[in-house]
Amino acid sequence: MHHKFRPRRLARAALTVALAASALVVAACSPYPNSVFHPRTDTNRDVGFLFEILIWFGSIVFVVVEAILIYTLVRFRRRGVARQPEHVHGNTTLEITWTIVPAVILVFIAIPTVRTIFRTQSKGRSDALQVEVIGHQWWWEFRYPQFTKRSPTGKLDTVVTANELYLPKGRTVNFTLKSQDVIHSFWVPALAGKRDLIANHTNYLWFTPDSAGTTAYNGFCVEYCGASHANMRFRTFVVTPDEFQSWIAYQATPAAFVLPTPGQAVANNAAAVAQNPQLAQSQVPSNAQVAPQRNLGGNPAVGHAAGANAPTVPSAGPPGAGVPVAPALSTTPPTSQAGFIAFPRERMPSYTVPTTPTPADVRFDDLYGDPARGADLMAKGKGACLGCHTIRGNPSMIGQIGPNLTHVGSRTTIAAGLFPNDTRHLTLWIKNARKMKPGVLMPTIGLNEYDPQLGATVKIGLTDQQIADVVAYLQALK
Amino acid sequence: MATTATAPAYTHAGSEAESGLWSWLTTVDHKRIAALYLGTSLFWFLVGGLEASIIRLQLMFPNGRVVSAEMFNELFTMHGTTMIFLVVMPLSAAFFNLLIPLQIGARDVAFPRLNAFSYWVYLFGSIFLNVSWFVGSAPDGGWFGYTPLTTLAYSKNLNIDFWMLGLQILGVSSLAAGFNFITTIVNMRAPGMYFMRMPIFTWMAFITQFLIVLAFPVITIALVFLQFDRFFGTNFYEIAQGGDPLLWQHLFWIFGHPEVYILILPAFGLVSEVLPTFSRKPLFGYPVMVYSGMLIAFLGFGVWAHHMFAVGMGPIADTVFGVTTMLIAIPTGVKIFNWIFTMWGGVLRFTTAMKFAITLVALFTIGGISGVMHASPPADLQQTDTYFVVAHFHYVLVAGSMMGLFAGVYYYYPKFTGRLLDERLGSWHFWLFFIGVNLTFFPMHFSGLYGMPRRIYRYDAGQGWETFNLLSSIGVGFQILGVVIGFWNFWRSRKSGEVAGNDPWGAPTLEWSIPSPPPDYNFAHVPRVTSRYPLWDVKTPHPEPPPQRASVSPRESPRRLPTAKDLGIPMPNPSIKPLFVALFMTLMFASLIAIHKDRVQLAVVLVIVFATALTASLYGWLLTPLEDEH
Repeated sequence: MHHKFRPRRLARAALTVALAASALVVAACSPYPNSVFHPRTDTNRDVGFLFEILIWFGSIVFVVVEAILIYTLVRFRRRGVARQPEHVHGNTTLEITWTIVPAVILVFIAIPTVRTIFRTQSKGRSDALQVEVIGHQWWWEFRYPQFTKRSPTGKLDTVVTANELYLPKGRTVNFTLKSQDVIHSFWVPALAGKRDLIANHTNYLWFTPDSAGTTAYNGFCVEYCGASHANMRFRTFVVTPDEFQSWIAYQATPAAFVLPTPGQAVANNAAAVAQNPQLAQSQVPSNAQVAPQRNLGGNPAVGHAAGANAPTVPSAGPPGAGVPVAPALSTTPPTSQAGFIAFPRERMPSYTVPTTPTPADVRFDDLYGDPARGADLMAKGKGACLGCHTIRGNPSMIGQIGPNLTHVGSRTTIAAGLFPNDTRHLTLWIKNARKMKPGVLMPTIGLNEYDPQLGATVKIGLTDQQIADVVAYLQALK
Repeated sequence: MATTATAPAYTHAGSEAESGLWSWLTTVDHKRIAALYLGTSLFWFLVGGLEASIIRLQLMFPNGRVVSAEMFNELFTMHGTTMIFLVVMPLSAAFFNLLIPLQIGARDVAFPRLNAFSYWVYLFGSIFLNVSWFVGSAPDGGWFGYTPLTTLAYSKNLNIDFWMLGLQILGVSSLAAGFNFITTIVNMRAPGMYFMRMPIFTWMAFITQFLIVLAFPVITIALVFLQFDRFFGTNFYEIAQGGDPLLWQHLFWIFGHPEVYILILPAFGLVSEVLPTFSRKPLFGYPVMVYSGMLIAFLGFGVWAHHMFAVGMGPIADTVFGVTTMLIAIPTGVKIFNWIFTMWGGVLRFTTAMKFAITLVALFTIGGISGVMHASPPADLQQTDTYFVVAHFHYVLVAGSMMGLFAGVYYYYPKFTGRLLDERLGSWHFWLFFIGVNLTFFPMHFSGLYGMPRRIYRYDAGQGWETFNLLSSIGVGFQILGVVIGFWNFWRSRKSGEVAGNDPWGAPTLEWSIPSPPPDYNFAHVPRVTSRYPLWDVKTPHPEPPPQRASVSPRESPRRLPTAKDLGIPMPNPSIKPLFVALFMTLMFASLIAIHKDRVQLAVVLVIVFATALTASLYGWLLTPLEDEH
């Protein structure tokens, strides 16, 4: 790559700009970001060829039928004194003709159809990237079983993430699809057709995202699965193989922010540091260095300013002064120092940014959140987060019901693509998820908040300050 | 022909005494039952349309906030369930009831009281289903009710209970009517009415009844499994106990796909009556039209899994179901061309009925083409569960079934009421509805292929779907205008419409040989049939529509028709018992709801009470002779 010969940062910036520009061009050329006609994978090119046949034949049949019909209507409309039409009861030759012609057309459709069926449903390549997709009401769990290792405690740790799927460009991906509850269906229209996720069944799907640049695509649940079916979405990031390696290595590490007190956690973290020295500077805080972060209820711009006060990319400042509390709207891509942590937000096409309005009756005042305090609260079971969520490297957070939060701070959206992952939305989400997403299993946690599912006010919950602390902690989990 | 084709308008003897509420509750006359079906199904059409309008209002713009997610899910579930089970099927049944006996030259259906029972079960079942709105638990599992979403583990309230019990009740109505019509057509055809002389509508109705009696038992089984799971803790579909969610899907679609033809074949039949009349030419290729109807119905049982390509059945099953589905395009295409060539060489009169009928031919073609696109599994995987499918089946069911049924209403309204619908209002109804349907459903092809999933209550801005959704919602406005004008026409013309006479259109089939509305005995003398188009044989040549249409003004005092008694024709007695049996059966099913509320004892008591009442009224029914003893 050309960046060998240039200052690294400059190359990265140039690359970023180029990609952003090309993404813009692509976006401008195609106002239909979720179109099924994007030839971004081998599968979609095969299907696109089929579509071409279907649309051509369909259009020809349509034009011919409607033309004959309209001609008939015009030519044989009653004019003046009606004549007595000849009573024709049928015509065998004609009727045989319009039986055979459609049959022949169907042969031309059926042959490529059957060929495509067998090509797209053949056995996946053995060297493919394996991804396990597990559907939940209403979020997606993505597991990468080829990236499993034994943790110091002897537990098998597989790279697992939620609602964000990273795929390396040019490599076949073999999906194994399962459901934890009702039937869901996995669909990234720009990449391939859909496949259902069914409890007590295992489904398979493969494709190779092998063309165009690297970008982000929307994914949807397309089998009706209950109240928040519309809110069960995900983002798929097709990245370069290098970026993917960097990303998955980082995802394999324990949480970036740990409480220094429990020995176990420190040990975990040490392992992470040993594996990825770059993280050593940036991700391991000492208790004393944790700076409070300004948390805000309404205005993301304030968050940005606060981020400027406390440098968000730690190693950009002097070593040791780093604070792991990157606010959501960091302008410096985390890729610049610590490898490819996440798909950079400025490269996110606009169609991947949710526009969901927030409920008017959930409010939040500006408060400073302390991530250490937030971590402590969660470890103590406040807000009952640990009942459902896992944060690898945090020994008290081992819940299995909800999304894995180990690197939640690096994700672009929350609540299965429903809201951007910024301070305001995360805060409101933790305060009253049930007003934010119909039917959601995550309880309303804010003290004295109304839980619409229980029809009652929460009496044991987190205060606004506690929520701000928890949010600060979660955002630190890059 | 015994009755002349020029009989003027008339009234039934003692019609005032026969028009009271009691006479409607106890009627066993197939024509009055037809009118009840017509009125009830048109009412539910308005309800289903209102549900659709709210759906479109919600989706008009991104992030719609007209209704909540839960309400939206109830709305689309009830819109589908209502339009299929409470509108298109019973609206077709209105025509089966009116036309089958008239077209085959019979005095009534084979089992007149069973016929009344079918209607009352439909009415009570439809009310039961919609009571759910008022207890705040309208069904929300989709009209397809996929498990495990509809099992107790994922649907804890009464929503699904109302749905599955309601469908079970409605199934009884359809099955009873199905057996009744099959018996009627097999046994009660007039002398000389061979099968290959039967009017094509009766043929399509005949085929439809076979679809009903073969398909409904399958959904009945599927629903019984679901009821056992929800009420008695069995594990047919409960995934936590190893149940199989796909069992439901297979059973549902083995019913569900033939159901599609149950919805469209009656409309095909109506159009096949309307096009020849207003072309003044016989149906082109009558035998092929009959055989293609049979072939569509037969193939319809072998294609169910094309609704399930995404569940991962493997390449062999995908191939088989893809190819069988494509085959259906052949008989359907034959029908389209035969309709066009029925008009070819004719003298076309563009009445409102004709306009609706032609529109079915023109627009069903679009639904058929997109249907072939779904038949190709790899392409279908990019289409299924998106708005492309919504576009497809609305072109089939609205631009197909509803257009055909509206054609039927305009064409047969005079036979129902003795009066013509207003053609000017009809024209407004047609054009607004035509524009509305295309404006609503055509853009959905695009929103679907551009990635918009079905059944979502909201969508983000910037997804490329805004324009199409806005157009679709505007289209609904046109549809509403058209329907309002049409319904005003239906309402007002029954009193003030032009008097029709026996045969206002110059039509060829037997039902137009008798007065409009027909006397309760239909035919004073059972006709002897010598051809497929008996009236055209009598009246040939017929250069113009018959002149009697304008010969009688509403003010003229109508001729009094002889009563059945005058003619010595034994007629079935009215009976309230079918209504009672239907009512107690519905209440018996409804009592099961109490189980869900953990009131098992109450449920048992109620079921025993209503079952006893049902049995008692059934005995009363069976012990009362159908006709007076001679």
